[in-house]
Amino acid sequence: MTAPRPDLRILVCGTADRGDDGAALAAISHVLPELPDSLRGRVEVRRCPQLDVTDLLDIGVGESVVVVDTVVGVEPGNVITMSLDELARRPAGVAPRSSHALSVDDALLIAEALRGAVPSGVFVGIGGRWFGYGERFSRSVKGNLPAFAAAIRTSIEELLAVPR
Amino acid sequence: MGHGGDLRFQVQNLTRVEGEGSLHLRVRDGVVEEAHLEIFEAPRYFEALVVGRTPDEVIDIVARICGICPVAYQMSAVHAFEDLFHVEVQPETRALRRLLYCAEWIESHALHIYLLHAPDFLGYPSAVELARDHRELVDGGLRLKKAGNHLLSVLGGRPIHPVSVKVGGFSRMPDRAELVALRPSLEEALALSQATVDVVTGLEAPAFEREPRLVSLKHRNEYPLNDGRIVSNDGVNLRASDWRKAFHEVQVPWSNALQSRAADGLPYLLGPAARVVLAGDQLHPLAKEALVRTGALESIRRNPYRSIVARAVELVHVCAEALDIIDGYVKPDAPAVAYTPRPGVAAWATEAPRGLLFHRYVVGNDGKVAAATIVPPTSQNQAAIEADLATFAPAVLDLPMGEATHRLEQLIRSYDPCISCATHFLDLSVEEVG
Repeated sequence: MTAPRPDLRILVCGTADRGDDGAALAAISHVLPELPDSLRGRVEVRRCPQLDVTDLLDIGVGESVVVVDTVVGVEPGNVITMSLDELARRPAGVAPRSSHALSVDDALLIAEALRGAVPSGVFVGIGGRWFGYGERFSRSVKGNLPAFAAAIRTSIEELLAVPR
Repeated sequence: MGHGGDLRFQVQNLTRVEGEGSLHLRVRDGVVEEAHLEIFEAPRYFEALVVGRTPDEVIDIVARICGICPVAYQMSAVHAFEDLFHVEVQPETRALRRLLYCAEWIESHALHIYLLHAPDFLGYPSAVELARDHRELVDGGLRLKKAGNHLLSVLGGRPIHPVSVKVGGFSRMPDRAELVALRPSLEEALALSQATVDVVTGLEAPAFEREPRLVSLKHRNEYPLNDGRIVSNDGVNLRASDWRKAFHEVQVPWSNALQSRAADGLPYLLGPAARVVLAGDQLHPLAKEALVRTGALESIRRNPYRSIVARAVELVHVCAEALDIIDGYVKPDAPAVAYTPRPGVAAWATEAPRGLLFHRYVVGNDGKVAAATIVPPTSQNQAAIEADLATFAPAVLDLPMGEATHRLEQLIRSYDPCISCATHFLDLSVEEVG
């Protein structure tokens, strides 16, 4: 029996042991238990230490996506939400930190070329300060994790058209 | 851009390579006097981070050096410790470690061929533009990469930075059914890799030839992955633990990464071209057949741009070997064998996708690491890349700046450098000083 496709996919980027790079993992661990069962059943969460084009190509037709990551290019601790389409077309601005060989905007644009459109969804990020191996969260990120979690939840509810 | 006098040629922020660096050329009367790969990515201190750690902790820590080749770091470390501790792993463990390495090579080679290097040959600024015009080509490359990702997830617990390798074996061995389920994607990957060989063989490479000193592992029974002797095309033949007997590290003022030299102080080249030339007789029959079909063995040796063909041949090898390993797999009773740590020097070299990766650890009486030396392939290749740039650059210095930059970047990308392992590259400026 094949599991039904989710309505929304959450791609959680970053690694827990590299300072502020683990902020998305920490935030999603607060968001998921708080979601009502009716919403949690419509969501699939995938961990992608580094967002890969194949993660984006896997998103089904009609499925939306929330990409969560720490970013550079905004003040540490600041939370930003933007459409994936907007993120793909402003590579010189906010830069997710967890990409590797391909930048996230490149990954999104390759996905657009292969799928015909950038996946429908949003990017939620928090500005990071340091990313060294074995470091803890910076004070700016630690203090704003609740706001980051709240922004992720808001995006989930909006994409699943939950009345607010 | 004439070059009648002195020129300084600066390419800052090289693109489509992993990490951060730049290229500086100083030219006098058309002769390149200086070619420096300026690697300015900050030092990462992993050799200090592992001090005071147990071997199993080290294996997980060194995997974090690179998101593209974490298995290589794990393999060099685990083999070094097992060699010191006289651990004889089960045959199934040995086969699964080769399978894990196959997964990483599939991921890494597919990424480099299709997303990083092919745009150079087909005249596109990046994989984004390539994907718009050659949808099927890029889609095939991504399916190949995905096959590697899946294999790595099953064996290592996740597609990047696997967590299953430990001294004596694995923390968990997969069930046979888990591996057999991967067969369809690997069969497709094998077919895609065979087609890849034909595609890249047809790509026109810039005319550039030299006689490189090549170094790789070579094993009497198998294509080199995690075992074999260190050999060169000029007579080096050493145990995998004895890298320091023929090579050494040197510090240069323009790079945050140590470089390596052979005993005579001269550079040498690692990677797919070196392996195919030195160990091609051990390729899987399907890969050997693909290599013969290219008719390119000699040009792979002499022209660095043809490394893309060697990389594609190796893709065939790892896809074919992965299928063979899966077909022969029987899950052992225990995932690992017991061992007793002992003090001493643990050293080993394995073949990362980019070439030979050497690790050396001093283990103390407490069983913990007291000192570490990690010599990544890109560090070792730096001097050879600089030598090739110095040889090749005069041919492009009369070109417009953008074209010259592109040609030099393309040459650098031929070596698939991973600067984050050693320590990204190009934005070009030329200063005439004469």
